[in-house]
This record gives sequence, structure tokens and C-alpha cells, in this order.
Amino acid sequence: MPDPVLKLEQITKRFAGHTAVRNLSLEVPQGGIFGLLGPNGAGKTTTIRMIMNILNPDEGRIMLFGKVSTGREHSERIGFLPEERGLYKKMKVLDHLVFLGEAKGVSRKTAAIKAHQWLDRLGLKDWTLRKVEDLSKGMQQKVQFISTLLHDPDLVILDEPFSGLDPVNSQVMKDVVVEIARSGRTVVFSTHIMEQAEKMCDRIAIIARGEKVLDGSLSEIKGGYGKRNVALGFSDGGGKNALAVLQDRTLVSKVDDFGTSAEVELAPGADHGRLLRSLVEAGVGLTRFEVVEPSLQSIFISKVGAEAATPTASEVTRA
Amino acid sequence: MHKLWAVIRREFQARVQTKAFVIGTVLGPVIMAFMVVLPVILNNRETEAKHIVVIDAASGQFGLKLERALAEARRGGGPQAIAKYAVTRVTATGRLKEVRDSLVRLTGLARDTVHRVDGLLIATDEALESGNVQYLGANVGSLSEMSMLGNIVEQQLLTERLERKGVDPVLVHEAQGHVDLKTSKITEGKETGESGGASFALAYVMSFLLYFSMLIYGIQVMSSVIEEKTNRIMEVLASSLTPFQLMAGKVIGVGAVGLLQLGIWVGTAMFLSANAVMIGGWFNMPPEAASQMPLPAISPSLLIVFLAFFLVGFFLFAAAYAAVGAMCNTMQEAQQYSTVLTLLVAASFISALSLFNEPSGALARTLSMVPFFAPIIMPVRYSLTSISWVEVLTSFTITFLGMLGVAWLAGRIYRIGILMYGKKPSFRELAHWIRAA
Repeated sequence: MPDPVLKLEQITKRFAGHTAVRNLSLEVPQGGIFGLLGPNGAGKTTTIRMIMNILNPDEGRIMLFGKVSTGREHSERIGFLPEERGLYKKMKVLDHLVFLGEAKGVSRKTAAIKAHQWLDRLGLKDWTLRKVEDLSKGMQQKVQFISTLLHDPDLVILDEPFSGLDPVNSQVMKDVVVEIARSGRTVVFSTHIMEQAEKMCDRIAIIARGEKVLDGSLSEIKGGYGKRNVALGFSDGGGKNALAVLQDRTLVSKVDDFGTSAEVELAPGADHGRLLRSLVEAGVGLTRFEVVEPSLQSIFISKVGAEAATPTASEVTRA
Repeated sequence: MHKLWAVIRREFQARVQTKAFVIGTVLGPVIMAFMVVLPVILNNRETEAKHIVVIDAASGQFGLKLERALAEARRGGGPQAIAKYAVTRVTATGRLKEVRDSLVRLTGLARDTVHRVDGLLIATDEALESGNVQYLGANVGSLSEMSMLGNIVEQQLLTERLERKGVDPVLVHEAQGHVDLKTSKITEGKETGESGGASFALAYVMSFLLYFSMLIYGIQVMSSVIEEKTNRIMEVLASSLTPFQLMAGKVIGVGAVGLLQLGIWVGTAMFLSANAVMIGGWFNMPPEAASQMPLPAISPSLLIVFLAFFLVGFFLFAAAYAAVGAMCNTMQEAQQYSTVLTLLVAASFISALSLFNEPSGALARTLSMVPFFAPIIMPVRYSLTSISWVEVLTSFTITFLGMLGVAWLAGRIYRIGILMYGKKPSFRELAHWIRAA
């Protein structure tokens, strides 16, 4: 097996008063999309900042591309999109991209060519010579996204890449991310939106309160839970009769009710057939009844616990 | 190196392409030109003679002498020069008080030229004896006018006294040939041909330029750091550039802008002084008047000293301002913290001004060896008096070392400060940042 692209060994970061990341070890293999998941304030951004050399870990070491090093030393091989987006407002879009390309070690000429290609591809061609401040927020996000990818990095680290994006732009970025992963390069992205991670990631790690809770490939993780979950869809108004059945703790151990749909985990000893029978007998209008692997969301909730999703005050101050 | 260059270029372009830069750069020389041309224009513009009434209550010829001398006074030089005063003499022997009081009531009031009285000069025997001659007028506040008038009165008073003692009037007239002290500065054992006034003007303009440029560009560095912090571009920058590249690039980039602007200004000043007569012509100024313009000659060695000290001074303060910017989160906060630096620059400017009279005194020599003061003091002293190269180089070396020290300290603070948000650091935390590995 080749060296992992990114390896964290027992890293710890303390801030005044609390520990943001504690003994965190991770391995990100070459290729594919790696999701760094966790509730707000779990330490995702702190971890990424340590990888990128913006913060130094108090303990432990970080290996990139097989050797102990930091993000800045490999800046020409890493594309980084920080959680806090920011551009020079007064600069022209093209000049800005060229400058950020140069900061990564790309020559001026190459940077300009690449910038033109990307602006064209993401539909910002007309804005090339406009000032950043003239762009809408979504367009600025795209410009920032381009700056992350301009130098064809081998490793792309995206901190909450989809937050604040409309569905159309979200889709464009998702396509680009998938394409990068397909070409054999590696994408690491952090998010607290499980549905997105579930659709895109090959591997995930869940962290909460600065500690790793779970990691591995998505299929292994889901497989480990067996097929004890059932996804339900209710017809119009059909859901209200289901309440009594779903509250039967001999039948259902956990419910995630969305109103017109629900995901339930069967109680030990119960089986799918009994659940279906009970629902039909109760007069529930069903549009879907499917035995499924647990969703990442439900795995996440069961692992992290609802209380971890609302971190304590001290954890938030240095998220 | 390539990355550092990219930061410098970005910083340079971002500044040079602003309207503020273009306006400032163009307006600087325009204002400079007006400062030089305006006094001369104003001086030559007044074509109307001042009407002075000599109230003659003295025995003998004193009043008459005053009347003649005033009437002969000319404004400016050359054949076209016009009379400075229109003079009327009123004999008032025995009724001095009445004449004086009635004329006082007239002075400065009438609008038309015929009846207007601008000033009253009172000639009495007592005045001749004691030397206390009285002048009453609306224009007593004008120092140059009064000193000119004083000269004329003094001369006539002397003549009258000598004649009364029986000295031959012809002899007195000969002895009274015009005396003019022509000042010329000596630098490095050579005559520069520069007058005292021009030398003073040069020192004044220079200290002002140094003061303003260090302050303005220093604050630009600071606000640029704050801008990067507040718009959060700092994270992207810090992940690909070292703090050293960021700080050095910023300081050098802004410094280059300052040098460009100063270069344009100094170049304009040199052009102006070389073509004073021609430029005077644009304002319909006769060549003699143009030569009165206080335009200094700037020697190459002075230019080198000026630019060298500007650069070290700028780097010293800019590094300090960068560190302050890194410590703070908002411009308001930074302004509070940077007051210390601003006061330092202002203190060196003010002490430079106060050293004009004694550019080689003990205080001047001491302050030239203090890094925070030398950048303004030394070029000013150099322009005012002759200073040995040893002293200049010693001062430069000390300032340079001081700058390295400040830059090192600022770099340590900058490194950590740029990624710190939230609370401002206490002095203890600052010390910790500086010591941190």
C-alpha cells in the first residue's frame, strides 16, 4: 500500500481553557474523497488549520506526502479553501487569481492561462477584468474555489465548501470535486451536513469534541451496522396513524421522523415483517417501505449523541 | 524569492492604481509650486503705493529728509520698479497733538486713493534725540513692511544727527552706501551658492516630507494588515506564504510606492528650481522676481542622504506599524495602539524643527544617534550645516541596526498576530509571542 497522502499522528491542540483537538490520528489514502465530519465546534477547522500550518499542534506530528512536514512546504501541491472565505475586494478577478497562483509557486504566465480556463468553465468569463467587490457573493465563492484549484493540486482540502452556496453553484462545485477525485487526486472536505458526505465520500472520519469517534470507508462502516433500518414513506396525511406503532419500543428502538418520511431502527428481536404488519393494521398510508443500511445521519447521531451536537460554551469560543 | 516578489508587486499595484495615489502625486508638486510662487506673486502684485503722512514737528530737516527718502523707496528692482510710498508732509510744529489726532481718525478709512491715509510717521526733536520714532498705521502687523520702513527711518535719523553735529552732508551720504549681507552656505569645504533662506526652506520642506511620508506609509502598512485580517484572506495567504514573505513583501511594496511618490516630488522640485525663470514667466512674473523665489539647489549627496534615511526610517516605522496591525482586529483598535508610534514620528519632526537654529548643538548630535529620531533629524541637519561623513555613517549604521532590531521584534509579533482574532493581547501575551519558537 502506498504512503497515505495525509497522516495525522496523535495530534493535540490546546487553547486557553480547553482542548480543541485531542490525540487525533487519521490516515487519508491516495485518491478519492475523504469526509471529515463532526458537529459544529468539533475541531474540524482546527485540525485543517494545523494541517495547513496556520496553527501548530501542541503534540503529535503531521505527515504529508509521506514525510513529516506542513502544508506550507507543499503549498504548490495542496489546494486549500478555508472556512472563512476572503478576497482582496479592490483587486481585479484575473489579477487576484494570478496573485494567489503565484503565492502557490505557479509562474505568472501559467497562472493567467489557468485562470482564464477556469473562469470560462465556471461561467465567470465576463467578470475577468472586474473588481472582486463588483461580484455577487456566489461569484466570489467561485473565484475563491478557482484559486484553490488553479495550480492543479494533488491534495485538495476544503473546509465546509458547500456552506452558503445556492443549489446551482453547489452542483457545479460538486461536479468539480468529483472530477478531481476521479483523476486519482485526493479531496479532503469537512462538513456537518451528513447527506452530502454520504453521497460523495469514499471514506469518512467523524470527530466530536476534538476526538475521533469513527473512521473508515463508508461501505465498511455501514456494513458493520447490518440491515436493521427501515426507511418509510407516508402518503398524504398517512403519517399520523403511524405514531403509536413507531413508539412501540418492542418493535422500534429509534425513530427519526421527518413528517412525510421516517427512518427507524428495529428493536432487538423485532423483524421487518412484524413492523410492516403493524403499520398496515394501524391504517398507515405507505408509499415506501425499504430495508436499508443506516444513513450516515443516524450513525452520526448514534455515535456522537445528540448532546455533542450542541457543544459547550468553552468549545465554541475556539471552534 | 518568486513568492516574495509576487507579494511586493501586488502591494505596489494595489496602491499605485488607486485614485488617492494619482491625486496625491499630482497635487503634491502643484501645491509645492504654489507655495514657492505664491509669495512672490503676492509681493509683486501690490501695485498701489502706500500713502504715508509725515507729521513734521521737528526743527531742521528731519521731516523733509524722511519725506524724500520714503518717496525714493522702490518696490522690487529694475527700471520699471514702482514707488513704494506716496508721501505727504504736514508741518505740525506746536500743534502736534491736534494734527495727529485728526489724521488718526482718517487713517485706513477712506476708500478712494486720494484721501486714503495708510500710516502716520511722526518726526519730532525728542524722537531724533532718543531714537524712539513713532509710526501709526493699519499695516503695523506686517513685519517685512515695518522692517523696511525702520531701515529708512534709521538711515535718515542717523544722517540728521550727524549733520547736526556738523559733519559734511556729502560725507554722510557716501558713508550711507547700501549694505546687503549675502549669505551662502558652505558644505564639505565648498561654497554651494545656496542662500540662507533657501537652505532653511529646503530643510523645512524635507523634514515635512519625511515626517508625512513615514507617517502616511507606515499607517498604510498597518491598515493593509488589518484589511487582510478582517476580510479573512490571511488564512489563504498564511497557508502558502511564510509570515516573513508576507511582512517583508508588504513593507517593501508600500516602501516602493513611497519612494516612487517622493521621487516624483523631488524630481519636480529639482525641475522647478532649474527652470524658475521659465515657470515664473507662466505667471507673468518678470525674471528678476522669479529669481527671488526661495528655491533651493539640491546637491546629489543631500539627495542620497535624504533617500537613505527615508528608507531606513520608513522600514523601521513600517515594521512597527505592521506589528501593531497584526495585534489588532479593527482599524479603531489599531489607531489607539499606534498612537505611540505616531507620537514618536511627530516628536522627531518637532525636534527637527526646533534644531534649525542649532543644527550642530549637543542635542542635535545626540538625537542623530537615536534610531527613532535620526531618520528625520539627520537629513535636516545635513542640509543645514556641514557634517562629517563619519558622523553621517555612524548615525546611519545605528539607525540601520535599530531598524533590524525593530523588524525582528515586529516579525515575531506579526507571525502570531496575523492569525489571532478576538481579544487584543496583553503585554504578557506579547512577550510570550516574541519568545515563542
